[in-house]
Amino acid sequence: MPSSEAPSRETPTLRAQLAGPDLVVAPGIYDALSALIAAQAGFGALYLSGASIAYTRYGSPDIGLVGMTEVADTLAAITDRVQVPVIVDGDTGFGNALNVIRTVRTFERCGAQAIQLEDQAMPKRCGHLAGKTLVPAAEMTGKVKAAVDARKSEDFLVVARTDAIAVEGYDAALDRAGRYLEAGADVLFVEAPRDRAEMDGIVARFGARVPLLANMVEGGKTPLYDAAALQAIGYRLAIFPGGTVRALSRLLAEYYGSLKAHGGTGPFLDRMNMFDALNDLIGTPGYLARGRAYDGANFGDDA
Amino acid sequence: MANSTPAGDRASDRRRRLRALVDERRALLVPGAANALTARVIADCGFEALYVTGAGVANTLLGVPDIGLVTLTEMVQTVEAIGETCTLPMIVDIDTGFGNAINTHRTVRVLERAGACGLQIEDQVFPKKCGHFDGKGVIPVGEMVSKVKAAVDARDDQNLLIMARTDARAIEGIDAAIERAQRYIEAGADLTFVEAPVSEAEMRQVTASLAVPQVANLVVGGRTPLLPQPALAEIGFSIVLYANAPLQAAMRAMSEVLGALKRDGGLDAVRDRLADFGERQRLVDKATYDALEKRYAVE
Repeated sequence: MPSSEAPSRETPTLRAQLAGPDLVVAPGIYDALSALIAAQAGFGALYLSGASIAYTRYGSPDIGLVGMTEVADTLAAITDRVQVPVIVDGDTGFGNALNVIRTVRTFERCGAQAIQLEDQAMPKRCGHLAGKTLVPAAEMTGKVKAAVDARKSEDFLVVARTDAIAVEGYDAALDRAGRYLEAGADVLFVEAPRDRAEMDGIVARFGARVPLLANMVEGGKTPLYDAAALQAIGYRLAIFPGGTVRALSRLLAEYYGSLKAHGGTGPFLDRMNMFDALNDLIGTPGYLARGRAYDGANFGDDA
Repeated sequence: MANSTPAGDRASDRRRRLRALVDERRALLVPGAANALTARVIADCGFEALYVTGAGVANTLLGVPDIGLVTLTEMVQTVEAIGETCTLPMIVDIDTGFGNAINTHRTVRVLERAGACGLQIEDQVFPKKCGHFDGKGVIPVGEMVSKVKAAVDARDDQNLLIMARTDARAIEGIDAAIERAQRYIEAGADLTFVEAPVSEAEMRQVTASLAVPQVANLVVGGRTPLLPQPALAEIGFSIVLYANAPLQAAMRAMSEVLGALKRDGGLDAVRDRLADFGERQRLVDKATYDALEKRYAVE
């Protein structure tokens, strides 16, 4: 249904965008409605966040409870509705290198243009929510190679993420990133640099060789920068994965609070899409017009 | 299919039936099913319970080996489909619980809702590591105890049986495997399943050492002696799994019939190997649906 998406021209592939002059900004999405609204806002790429699926679909924390099939279902619903390239959070690949192969093939078939794979151990352990643990670098290298080998199209990108700064330190994290790059990663994502100097160091080491991803987490360990600043630092791709649900959760609390307090939606109306506005947003008129085009009366229906 | 389900046959009733069957300790034969058609055949042959095999789902749904590629969602869909058209109590293979104790907690809740009557959880390492497929690894006993506790806590219906399997025999020996099973019983397991005892003496040691009902897994070509059912009952087993016999039979039958078709360009040589049209419709209970169609026919 491209009709109600903002970009009327065909959106360039993520690979093409990363080769262009401007930093690519990918906001977090968690379902087809959020994807549609983000596309209408004009973003050139979208980030399907595993955490956001856990938050919204299950009301649960991001501790590895969401299965591969559940992410694939969400992804397929999104790519059926929007044309904008989707980067899908593949977590650990849902297992070892063989699971990575199945995950990559499934997510590529479901229409993603990139998968992000991280070197955390799986599943995340009970009681260690703050403390990340990693798989050995060699094991992650094997997973990156498996992902690269499993994809059908060169336009399906493998984003390799290392969580090693918090576990093994900054230098070890950069060494890991270097190994994942050699294994064939298309984009590197060194998670949670703690200051501008660390970000500069990542760019100095890899920026000339491979697109780098910056993760903006409101309240996280990395200082928050806007797109222009991240581009100036040398990043090529910036994701704002959790911001969507952080904004949404606040809005919903205000809406429900207002309804409960007032027993009606009157005080909130100026902050809502009215019936027609929401239908326009999701493209109802286009669907109805297409339905009419296939009406039996057009094909000699006797009735 | 409400019409093919006897009145009062809810999942809770099936669970009560399974617990009673298990408590009889008469070496109940439990064949494995990986799909609803196999489950229908198992019921048609008069078995009283069935086992939903993860290996079988990997082999048939995905056409891959049993190396941990099947997701929880795929097992849930399989279990739901089986429970919809087959009223036998189902014991469901949940492998390692799909992760740690927290994942196990979710797995139990989701599969209980899907209609499982018993859940089998094992102490193998998850996820299996590349290059180690020949050798099974087991997790530390304390970690498995946590998973069993999580499973017991997660169930809503106390008749949902938690069957704890240990694969430690091949790695740590029979005594250590029995010791593990004992720990799992203390954690609340309703049954234990010491996998792959290699002799009748070891099988007797298992049933003599452990107080709760025991499971034997008979695999053609496996390490456990293929004793007849009366012998297994005498040894004291409660459940005897033939997890993949129906699948193995179907694979052979498909290969032979399709081989003949390819070779001869027709099925004359193997016609007697095929279920006829009436038999096929009977197994999928077409008569019930015909009756429904008549009942809801537009005047």
